[in-house]
Amino acid sequence: MKRLLILTHLLLLGCSGANDDAVIDFEVETPRPFGYVIGDEIPERIILETRPGVILNTASLPAKGPVNRWLNLNAMHIRQSGQRYEIDLRYQVFYAPLSVRTLTLPGFDLHFGSGDSAFSKPVPPWRFTMSPLRDLAVKGAESGATLRPDSPPPQLDTRQTLTLIVAGSGASLLAAATLGFLYGYFPALRRRTLFKQALKRLARLPEKDMASALHTVHDALNRLNRKPLYQHQLAGFYQAHPEHRRVDSQLNWFFNYSNHYFFSRNVSATALDREKLIALCKACRQIERGSR
Amino acid sequence: MMTDAELIQWRANALRFEQQINQCVLGLQTAVRQIVIAVFARGHVLLEGQVGVGKTTLLRAVAQGLGGNFERIEGTIDLMPADLIYYTYLDENGRPRVDPGPLLKQGERLSTFFFNEINRARPQVHSLLLRAMAERSVNAFNRDYAMPHFQVFADRNRVEKEETFELPAAAKDRFMMEIRIDRPDDDALLDQLMFDPRFHDTDRLIAGVESGGMAYERLNDLAETVQNKIQTSPKLRQYALDLWKATQNPGQYSIQLADVDMNQLLLSGASPRGMSYLIRAAKIRAWLEGRDYVLPEDIQAVFAVCTQHRLFINPVYGYRKEQLVPQLAAAILQQVAAP
Repeated sequence: MKRLLILTHLLLLGCSGANDDAVIDFEVETPRPFGYVIGDEIPERIILETRPGVILNTASLPAKGPVNRWLNLNAMHIRQSGQRYEIDLRYQVFYAPLSVRTLTLPGFDLHFGSGDSAFSKPVPPWRFTMSPLRDLAVKGAESGATLRPDSPPPQLDTRQTLTLIVAGSGASLLAAATLGFLYGYFPALRRRTLFKQALKRLARLPEKDMASALHTVHDALNRLNRKPLYQHQLAGFYQAHPEHRRVDSQLNWFFNYSNHYFFSRNVSATALDREKLIALCKACRQIERGSR
Repeated sequence: MMTDAELIQWRANALRFEQQINQCVLGLQTAVRQIVIAVFARGHVLLEGQVGVGKTTLLRAVAQGLGGNFERIEGTIDLMPADLIYYTYLDENGRPRVDPGPLLKQGERLSTFFFNEINRARPQVHSLLLRAMAERSVNAFNRDYAMPHFQVFADRNRVEKEETFELPAAAKDRFMMEIRIDRPDDDALLDQLMFDPRFHDTDRLIAGVESGGMAYERLNDLAETVQNKIQTSPKLRQYALDLWKATQNPGQYSIQLADVDMNQLLLSGASPRGMSYLIRAAKIRAWLEGRDYVLPEDIQAVFAVCTQHRLFINPVYGYRKEQLVPQLAAAILQQVAAP
């Protein structure tokens, strides 16, 4: 019996605890303890869980507003989930240290109540270091200004866009120039429009004026050849302008006809001759445009 | 005047004559055609070329083909005009005698006179020759000797300049053509010339040319007939006139040569006689080609040989004469259009 009494007493002693034991879990989360400058905000989170029936006395939490001359409590949020509390504190420091300095967020006591009993749990102070915004010693003007202007905002990289614009414009110009060249719009490139001009001139000439018509075609051929072209020089002409070999028979007819017309006697021009002349000119025009 | 049928027959003879000469000398077709033209145009010919290119062989072949009497003389520095007319010697009886020289020996039958190395003869000799060429007659022994079929072929080589006398402009102008003979550059021809024994004996080679096929005494008549029969249109006359003007003032026809002030280039252009020769030669070419009218290509074919020796270059450009004169003739043809 005596043993039983002793055991019971021991069990009661073991089951009974201090007031502090009303808080099952208690944790303070603090950020990095260094590198703060004036105006920085420092968040602190307190996580705790109480036994059922134990209530946190929120009046024991620090009030928003100045804590001391260099510290301000900007915000405080409490989130309660059953017996679990998450308390977020947001301090802002206004201390202006001249060199790196260790400061302390002050600790405080959390008060709990359970029925008539009350107890407290201390939140420990937290130490951190602050750095000055700039050196104490102000440099002289002769040694270079410490203060410097803001760096300009970075430019957008437009090189690729510009390259594309230039390439696109170049390609458009090239296409337009090629088209103009093929249509013979360039006065400086008359050699590509020799037979175009000859056809125009032929169209304006009276039908009976065979001499001028022949002259027109001779002139176009001479200008293409860069010197007067005669029938016996056709082989050399084809070497320089092989594409005209396709109209060899027409060219030979033309030179034979022209020789007879200008240098022989009693040659009269007919409408058929004129048609053949225009056909030759049109064939040469097609070669000139590259469409034949 | 000859009939059309005779003209056709003569043309066939002329082409055969040309063919035979071409068999005798290789690689000189252009020069042979030009000589044939000169023969039928009754013009004197000056040949120019390097040594051993066949000038003498060519002329001997022409003389053989033409028939008639042939005389030749070698130009030397001590040759005097009298040496062409007579020569003196002691006969077998020891008595002095005077016999006719090369120009007179054949009398009226002289058809071909070959003056070898003409630029070695003195200007006095050139002067006598000049009259003989122009008038086809010589005054000797107090009377005129006519040589109606007389045709001169002279040659000169371009290699040697020592002890030579440049032909005066007036003498040059008497020649219808100055034909340049270049050595053939075709390997097959050169091989044939070197290794074919036919070309080693020149006398036998020339003897192969048919002689007497051409009645040389009728050549003057033939030439006259051809000149009358072959027509030139107004357009062609204009073309020839433009060519002539271009030889006088090439700058006006936009003719440019590299590094040459065209206004300073020429001392004198082609003469009227030269242009007359040009058309005569062009007509013969048209006839040989079987046409009765002249085409620009006929004129172009003979333009250089009829004109180049009539273009006299300013001494400033004298050192480039050999190069500039052919360039100018070619540039004229390339710049002046016919129709």
